[in-house]
Amino acid sequence: MEMKKQQMITQSQKLMIFVLTMALYGLATLFTELIPKLQIGIVEFSVEYFLFIPLTLGILFDPISAALGAATGELVFSEIMLGQFGGLGELEKFITVTIGVYIAGRLVANPKNRKMVGIAAMTGVVVQQAMGMMVDILKVQFAVEDFESVAGLPQSVYATEGFAFLNDVLFSGILFCLLPTLFLVPKLYGKIEPLLGMQPRTEKTAIGRINVKVIIGSLAAFGVAIVSEFMAESGMELIDWEAGWAESKSAIAIAMMAAGALAVIILLVIRKNHNRKEA
Amino acid sequence: MREKLSESIFDKLTMNFLRNQVLKNAYGNDDTVIAGLDPRILILWYLFFGIVPWFSGNVVFLMGCFILVSITTLLARIAGLVLLLFGIGVFSQTGYLFLATLLFGGDASSIVPLLVLTLKIATVSLASITVFSGLDPDRLSNGLMWYGCPERFSFSISYAYRMLPVLMEEFEGVLLSYRLRGNPPDCDTLKGKIRYLIYQVKIIIHAFYPLMLNTAKRSRTTVEALEIKGYRYAASKKEAKKVRLSTLKVSFDDFLFLAISFFWVSLIIFLSGYF
Amino acid sequence: MNVIEIENLTYSYPGESTPALTNISLKIKKGDFLAVIGNNGCGKSTFCKVLNGLIPHFIAGEFDGRVIVNGLDTTESNVGNLAYNVGYVYQDFENQIVRPTVLDDASFACMNYLIPDYKEKGMEALEQCGLSGKEKDYIWQLSGGQKHLLALAGAVSLQPDILILDEPIAQLDPRHADQIYEVLKELNEEFGKTIIVIEHHTEYIADYCKNVLLLKDGQVQWKLPVNEALGRVDELVECNIFPPQVTVAAHHMKVNGNLEKSIMLPTTINLGVKTFGEFVWNASFLKKEGIKGNRQKEKAVSFQDVKLSYHAVKGEDHIVFDHLNLDIYKGEKIALIGSNGAGKSTLMKLMIGLLRAKEGEVRLNGNNIKNIKVQQLSKQISFVYQNPEEMFIKDSIEADIAYAMQVREIKDWEMRTEELMRRFRLTELRKRDGRLLSGGQMRRASLAIGIALNPGILLLDEPTANLDIATRKEIMHTLNVMKDVTETVMIATHDMQLVSEWAERIIVLCQGNVVADGTRDEIFDNHKIIDMVGIRPPEIFLMGQAIDKKALCYTVDEFLQGFVRKGGKKYA
Repeated sequence: MEMKKQQMITQSQKLMIFVLTMALYGLATLFTELIPKLQIGIVEFSVEYFLFIPLTLGILFDPISAALGAATGELVFSEIMLGQFGGLGELEKFITVTIGVYIAGRLVANPKNRKMVGIAAMTGVVVQQAMGMMVDILKVQFAVEDFESVAGLPQSVYATEGFAFLNDVLFSGILFCLLPTLFLVPKLYGKIEPLLGMQPRTEKTAIGRINVKVIIGSLAAFGVAIVSEFMAESGMELIDWEAGWAESKSAIAIAMMAAGALAVIILLVIRKNHNRKEA
Repeated sequence: MREKLSESIFDKLTMNFLRNQVLKNAYGNDDTVIAGLDPRILILWYLFFGIVPWFSGNVVFLMGCFILVSITTLLARIAGLVLLLFGIGVFSQTGYLFLATLLFGGDASSIVPLLVLTLKIATVSLASITVFSGLDPDRLSNGLMWYGCPERFSFSISYAYRMLPVLMEEFEGVLLSYRLRGNPPDCDTLKGKIRYLIYQVKIIIHAFYPLMLNTAKRSRTTVEALEIKGYRYAASKKEAKKVRLSTLKVSFDDFLFLAISFFWVSLIIFLSGYF
Repeated sequence: MNVIEIENLTYSYPGESTPALTNISLKIKKGDFLAVIGNNGCGKSTFCKVLNGLIPHFIAGEFDGRVIVNGLDTTESNVGNLAYNVGYVYQDFENQIVRPTVLDDASFACMNYLIPDYKEKGMEALEQCGLSGKEKDYIWQLSGGQKHLLALAGAVSLQPDILILDEPIAQLDPRHADQIYEVLKELNEEFGKTIIVIEHHTEYIADYCKNVLLLKDGQVQWKLPVNEALGRVDELVECNIFPPQVTVAAHHMKVNGNLEKSIMLPTTINLGVKTFGEFVWNASFLKKEGIKGNRQKEKAVSFQDVKLSYHAVKGEDHIVFDHLNLDIYKGEKIALIGSNGAGKSTLMKLMIGLLRAKEGEVRLNGNNIKNIKVQQLSKQISFVYQNPEEMFIKDSIEADIAYAMQVREIKDWEMRTEELMRRFRLTELRKRDGRLLSGGQMRRASLAIGIALNPGILLLDEPTANLDIATRKEIMHTLNVMKDVTETVMIATHDMQLVSEWAERIIVLCQGNVVADGTRDEIFDNHKIIDMVGIRPPEIFLMGQAIDKKALCYTVDEFLQGFVRKGGKKYA
């Protein structure tokens, strides 16, 4: 009983892992956002990918905390702080990063097993990138109207996205995820855990292999990412803005304008009076 | 001459410069018109300009939106680096699509959709830059919380703003150690330059080893302190949210801002009917 | 009334076989100002975490015994309830500040515990801690001392009866340290708070504390009133604690028969004046130190009309140096002193080429530093950071020491690494990660890393901050050994004992200007400078001065030799 109590990860330890991953991965993405990308032809050599940080921490500690921490860190540090927040697209990145890191973290029962660590790191990257690619293709389809009718566009999007996927997995995946993770996990194992007041992960204390539940959960989360995009598409047809204005709705627009102008004037007057009263 | 130029660019792109720009963006514009607005109003405003342009294909409407968000971006006094990033981002996003379209046998007919796409991306980006860079981090997180954003997330935003300078300083310290004690390859020839680049990337990755351990030490104290300060206690109480959000107040300026935006949008909707 | 009662407390951390605290029974009275002392690893911090309930609520482990705080049993009460009763300021207080602005952080706890007027509570706490007027500032705009006060304000805001501070003045200059203790004193006297500090600056204990608790190997040795406690010189030294120099001097006089056996040892200068009232300064001991002949020597570093400014996030740039002129000659042993923010670190960063002068030039061994690549600089000049943890970039100290030599393919780098590890007594620890070593070991390792390339000039930032007596002695010894190895050494420090025992030349910086430059006699005897810059000479020096203005003694030994009893009577 006593033993079991010690091994259990407490709520606050989860918070520690979350904070740690968020801070580190956030910092890394902040810089990668700032470093210009090197483009040779259509091959993009970006240092964009510092996923080794959450992968390493997810393998050493509680995977879900590390995964959520990483996704939050990226969102907060590089998207919100730099004002690069892209609305819906960020939800997709948030979910894919979370799933990728979580699955990688769950794959490893014993961080001392280098082969398993390597497989996990690559799996994490491939999962994240594949999902990212799918959503990316869908995104362009929404954004450009008459996607199919623009000559050469569909093919080019499939080709560039497919190529980007391979490029990311083989280039960024190996150089920036596999190798650094293989380098860091054994070095940190047994050293970083006591700093957080935890026991290193071993075969006995691991939370168990990936099971059906994990897969279903991941798929469901990915579904959310896609559904949010599809909702956007159907909404586009429902609202049908353009048709509305292009025809005889300019009267409504004029009414809106008048209302807006009136509101501005009234507010300005109220404010002026208010200020005078205060003075 | 060329080398001199590239060297001076490299000089400029030091950690110190980056840190300064990021800090400027995060803390340097808390006294602007935009920063003074109510976060809830601004988020609502953002929802319009962040979503609606995606659904419109009308060049006049999009142009009008673009002009408005450009003005708000200027009002928010955004740091130069962020604007530069915005420029690069927009260009590279549509630029590469444009090239690829040409490569696969597209013609001039694909340029108009791409212009529309460019305007969409630019408008949405500038709207988000206005709101997310222009707002005080703490007000932003309060605003998000009001809309039902998870507490953990809005805490993360404030905490990130608090920790950013600290983390950067630490990262800089570690990199400095490498710079002083390391021995990077000469970067005179092209081959040397590539080797130098690889060396730099390697150093950055290696730098995360000490950084992870140092940050682990920090986060332990932080989480202990959060425990004492009742962070988890508050997270489990509904009233805590109310207490925190009680500082938010909508003022005349907020209504004025909304009204002006509304007027402008109606104007461009009207105009878009004619062109 | 007792605010804290501990009965038979024994605690061990999870997975540890030996307990961190053993069988502790203790009572602390309300309104006490208690110093907790003991050598590194004696359980001081653990003890304090027991009081605020972090142990056992947050940190598990085996907990046995009873801890009653303000009438609450810590095992039965939760951390939140205890927070109303006990405030805690960490040693790494910076990490305990979690909000971006000052008032926000000060009122954070009150807000979380649903106090409706949490802003007012925060303001009140800021006022109590002397931070009024800073409410809207961002955290990174604060100085180290102010951050500490803010961490304190965060703890004070819930108005707990008990405040615990873990090494509150470790990295502060004397002026800021005084400020912290004055705030604590006010909290103690005006607001009736019970204050517990972990402290090894015994001068501050003597000035401010009422009682002292000595811990040794997780056990209570004793708890005594401050004067009696600090008088137990032998016991304290055995636990690696420096008693105040005045006390040590009197203790020696007692031993060698110059003072009466029955006399109570003085702990402060004021008490010392009474004790040493019958002593006079032996003027023949006074030896004037001439300026060493360095001025004819070669220049190692020279600053010529240097101007440097930082970009401020808001508003105008902050000018650090304006037309700074300074020459450093080969072979000098220099101490660089001045308050926090005077520009000491900036000066050093200019010397290693990390910062570039806006105008003027910095010359290193005759060459303009602009024309030397950073990585080539490191053979000529080396810099050891204030925080040794930042020096460790590899996973073992052996790899760290070897790194600079290895990448430069220096001949026999393996042998040299071995030799350095032997000289700094690190051979046993070679495979350990630097970050996981004790304070003194870390410091030794960072020095070894600093001189690995055999630089002609060595810069050290606060090498003795935060060390206990044994480690400090060791580092002093190492620094003295290094005097022969490294030609030119410059140390930036607040540690005036180090300055007066080690330095041959002292440069005083104040707001970016060199306001004084000379030997220790020239600096410490110049009252105008001392008051302006806020330097506090070693206590023993002040003691000497308090007895006789002409007296210039910097160490306890010099004091013992320089002062003689009127009439020369000895007590047996």
